[in-house]
Amino acid sequence: MTAFTDPGCLVVIPAHNEAHDIARVVTEVREIHGLDVAVVDDASQDNTVKRARAAGAQVLPLSVQLGAWGATQAGMRYALRHGYERVLTMDADGQHEAVWIPNLLSPVIKGDADVTIGCCVRRGSRMRKIAWRILKAVSGLTREDITSGFRAYNRTAFRLLASREATLLEYQDVGVLVLLRNAGLDTHDVEVTMLPRRSGTSRVYHSWFAVMYYMCHTILLGISKRRVRR
Amino acid sequence: MLSWVTGAIGLAAAITIIVLIRKDHLHVRYGIWWIAVAAVFVVVGLYPGIVDHLAARLGIAYGPVLALTVGLTVFVIKILTIDIARSRDETRIVRLVQRIAILESEVDQLKREARDRAEGVEEGAERGE
Repeated sequence: MTAFTDPGCLVVIPAHNEAHDIARVVTEVREIHGLDVAVVDDASQDNTVKRARAAGAQVLPLSVQLGAWGATQAGMRYALRHGYERVLTMDADGQHEAVWIPNLLSPVIKGDADVTIGCCVRRGSRMRKIAWRILKAVSGLTREDITSGFRAYNRTAFRLLASREATLLEYQDVGVLVLLRNAGLDTHDVEVTMLPRRSGTSRVYHSWFAVMYYMCHTILLGISKRRVRR
Repeated sequence: MLSWVTGAIGLAAAITIIVLIRKDHLHVRYGIWWIAVAAVFVVVGLYPGIVDHLAARLGIAYGPVLALTVGLTVFVIKILTIDIARSRDETRIVRLVQRIAILESEVDQLKREARDRAEGVEEGAERGE
């Protein structure tokens, strides 16, 4: 494999109680690709901050838990402030493999896409696939894996997402994608493989009530933000 | 009798509002709204004929229906504006928390750089540079 480096890219990793995996994830990204890494600590109670810092990441410690999207947005605001040209987001739990980073970044660097989404359509239970279909129908989105947090953004895209307008979003999927689409930005799917989650539980789907809330929330958001055809 | 009860409720509400403002538990801005509500209670309580008179002019046979409908509508609007304000405040808090985290990471970075520089100077001094 040819060496891949992109000094203009910041890898943003939102983390909440991920002390178990965070050091390895940060080290992999830094060692394989030599990319700058910012770990946004979402008010963890464990050693996430310490381990991420020891692994060489810039750590942004949130004093109040904001959820995955709020944490990711903090990373985007940091990237904007520090003049980065691209932002790549990935999970802290080891689901996303650093080897796929070049595949996500290349179309963005070449200017073929404003945003790339690492999609792994094979993952997910039948229930989750039904949920995705409903969400795609109400929001009018066509992406394969709308919930994937493994994405690369160019500066236009992450500047939009760092804005006040994107702050009230609770999840990074439908709301973010609809915002990008309505701004006329080009989003591409990139096929990747993902590993099973090594520790912790899903932050979105941790109980039936959470799933219900998530679905109602996202359906209402998708309907209200549908692009009005004139 | 009922008119006196309603009037008394209005007066009690007005006094409560003033006490709350006095103790800094309520912003004067919101106090104005609640004093207005209390005033309406007092007026309607002491002169219930006003409602019947208005209802008759609007062609509503039963006066209290008008009072209830208007009251309910006004309160629904008030509650909605509260949630709008809460959404705005939430955005502000989230952005503040994010900004503090960014600044904290920058302070941390500067501290580390300063420490590294100081160590470099010390090492240089030890070597007699």
